[in-house]
This record gives sequence, structure tokens and C-alpha cells, in this order.
Amino acid sequence: MLRTAVLGVGLLCCGYGALAWLTHDFQVWTQEDARRLEVALTPVALPSVAVDGTGGAAGDLRALLAQGGGVTIADFIYTRCQTVCLSLGSSFQQLQAQLRADREGAKPVRVRLLSISFDGQRDDPQALAAYARGQGADPSLWRFVRVPDEAQQQALLLRLGVVVVPNGRGDYEHNAALLVFDAQGRMLRVFDMEQQQLALDYARHKAGAALEAAP
Amino acid sequence: MSRRLQPALGALLCLVLLWPGVRHAMEASMWRHMLLQFPLWMLAGGLLAARVPAGAGRWNAHGISGLIGVAALMAVLMVPRLLDMALQRPMVEAAKLAALLLGGAALRLSWRPAGLVLQFFFLGNVLPMMAVAGQLYADSPLRLCNAYLQDDQIRLGQWLTALAALLALAWLAGAARQLMRRDAQADGLTGSPARAAARSTARE
Repeated sequence: MLRTAVLGVGLLCCGYGALAWLTHDFQVWTQEDARRLEVALTPVALPSVAVDGTGGAAGDLRALLAQGGGVTIADFIYTRCQTVCLSLGSSFQQLQAQLRADREGAKPVRVRLLSISFDGQRDDPQALAAYARGQGADPSLWRFVRVPDEAQQQALLLRLGVVVVPNGRGDYEHNAALLVFDAQGRMLRVFDMEQQQLALDYARHKAGAALEAAP
Repeated sequence: MSRRLQPALGALLCLVLLWPGVRHAMEASMWRHMLLQFPLWMLAGGLLAARVPAGAGRWNAHGISGLIGVAALMAVLMVPRLLDMALQRPMVEAAKLAALLLGGAALRLSWRPAGLVLQFFFLGNVLPMMAVAGQLYADSPLRLCNAYLQDDQIRLGQWLTALAALLALAWLAGAARQLMRRDAQADGLTGSPARAAARSTARE
């Protein structure tokens, strides 16, 4: 009986340990929440990927993020999307309106918006440009890119923890979110789509801090 | 089925389940991942353990430690993050499959020695947890796994709750039958003379 008790307690401890490891000490229950927590603790550096898109945005994605030395709020889209991306689009439209107001208030705007397509085969620069017009994007604030190379695109999605699932009806479901990058091309935070104000305040704060640090 | 054949069958089942085509087909959908892959691996573990003497050793008196291990395993398996991680990390997948195999074996070795009372205690812990997890899966407005679609998750949740209810009913029916049979045997053993005597004394 003693041995049974010892083994039973040991197995309970194993189960507890596995649960604690799986849930980051009972803080998260889903992979998406774990991803957000992990990013907040340790920023994720972008891999080197070549992109092209609207407004002559072409070249390495990290170089694109470094332009202007500001902070970028990014999302992943595909232009045929009729569901989640539309609500992401309207979040971005509201963010753009606020950034415009910042600019008119003579504050330096160091926050930019970037939409990255995960359907690089279909979303060529023309399709992206048409989509950008449909969204009323201001090219000086909000750009659209794709990753033409399939292998690089997969590497990018994997590194950033973006999971895209075909839903069998010709569309995709994906863990849509607002990703905040710094000028060094590191993903600093992942926010929920509904947390756009929080994302913007965080990006402004980070951009302001970067401005002060710069000579 | 003969006990001699069962381990071979279990090994065969393992091989089939390990086959990349079968594994990917099962993991392509959330409900197949949880309601087909998990039980089949546990079944394979149970079959492999056919020739281990049940309840052997002092390490598993009354099947207690075995059932504790299986209950702990079930709790871990209900965390949605596990499904995503198993798809992304081969080490987690290997650990998951090994744990399922061991869990199946432990369940088989512990079930009979546990007896009705401990079985009731075990199921009283595991089945409500399963039903509640099923409810959460079905009612969540968010996708809980990045790799699976929401309608898949809702279906899984409903089936998980239904499975918990079915298992509870099946166990109750089995337990009732077992108790009735035990009563009948007790009657047969103590014999009718004692009963008759009791009845006659009651009459007086």
C-alpha cells in the first residue's frame, strides 16, 4: 500500500508538472495565448524575407520596417477574404485615422501600418494595390506587401506563429491579430484585433522612446 | 479473443497508427485527433498489456496508482494547447503518444482490481471534467486551437459531452448487472435453507 501511495503521488506530481509546463504555470490554455505571452517576454526577430507590394515597397522586410526608424503595426491578410480581414481592415482604417490626426497635430508620426499577405501566389502587387484602394489606405501610412517566395513565406509564418487553415470553402481561417514591430524588425507584442487602441498606445509609446533614445 | 493474440494485435495497431498517412489524416481534424486518435492509442496500450498479470505487484494495489495516472493524463489531454503543440513539435507528439499507450495499459491493469467503489470515484472525477471541457469547447466564441476550424471545435465539444454521458450510463448499467449477479450468487451460496429459516422465523 505504501508503494502504491508513493507511485500515485509521483504520478500526480508528473501530471501537475506537465500541466504547469503546458500552461506556463496555469496562465494560458491555448497556443495563441502562449504565443502572445512568449513574445511579450522575448521579442521575436524576423527572418530575412524578400517582399514586394504597394508604393514601391520592395526588398527585405526588415529594411522596410527600419525605414523612418519608427514602429510598425502589422497584420496578416489575404485579399479575397470576406470575414476576419474585413474587420481587421476596419481596425486598420481607424488606426490610420488616428495616425493622420497625430500628423495634423504636428506630432511626428513614427507609427506605420503594414498589411502582409499570406497568399503570396495570388496577391500580386496589382491585387494588393486594388485592395489598398478599396480600404482607403494612405500610402504614406499604410502599406501592403506579400512574400513572393513560398519557402520564405512559410518560414515567416512559422517564426511569427501565424497559422493559416483552409476552411474547405475556398477561404482561410487564421489567428488574426495586431503585431507590433520595432525598427530592428523584432516582433514586440501581439494584440487582439479588438485591442487596437492598446496596440496604438503601445506603438506610440515605443516610437516615442525610440525617438528619445536617438540623438 | 485469446490473450496470446492481443499483444500482437496491439503492436499491429501501433504500426498502423504511426503510419504517416493515417497519423496526418487523424490529426487533420480536431474531433478525429481527440476522439479517434486518443482512444485508439489507449486501446493499443490495453492490448499490449494483455499478458501482464492484472493488479500485479504492490505498486498498484487496488489499481489505485494506475487510475491516478490515467486521471492525471486525461486532465493534461483536455488542454487545447496540447493539440497545437503536438502538431508543431515532434517531441511533444512523441510524449503524447507514449503517454496514451501507457495510459491504456494502466487502465486495463487497474480497472478490475479497483472494484466498483474506486471505479466510481475515478469516473466521478474524469467524466465531469470531460463534459465540462466539452461544454467549453462547444461554447467558446474563439477558436481554441490555431490549427483547427471553429465548427470542428464545436462538434468535438458536443461529442465530448455526449461521450462522457454515454460512458457514465454504460458504467452504471455494467455496475448494476454486476451487483445483481453478485446478489444471485450470494443467494446460491448461502442456500435457500437459510432464507427459508429466516422466513419461517419472521412468520412466527
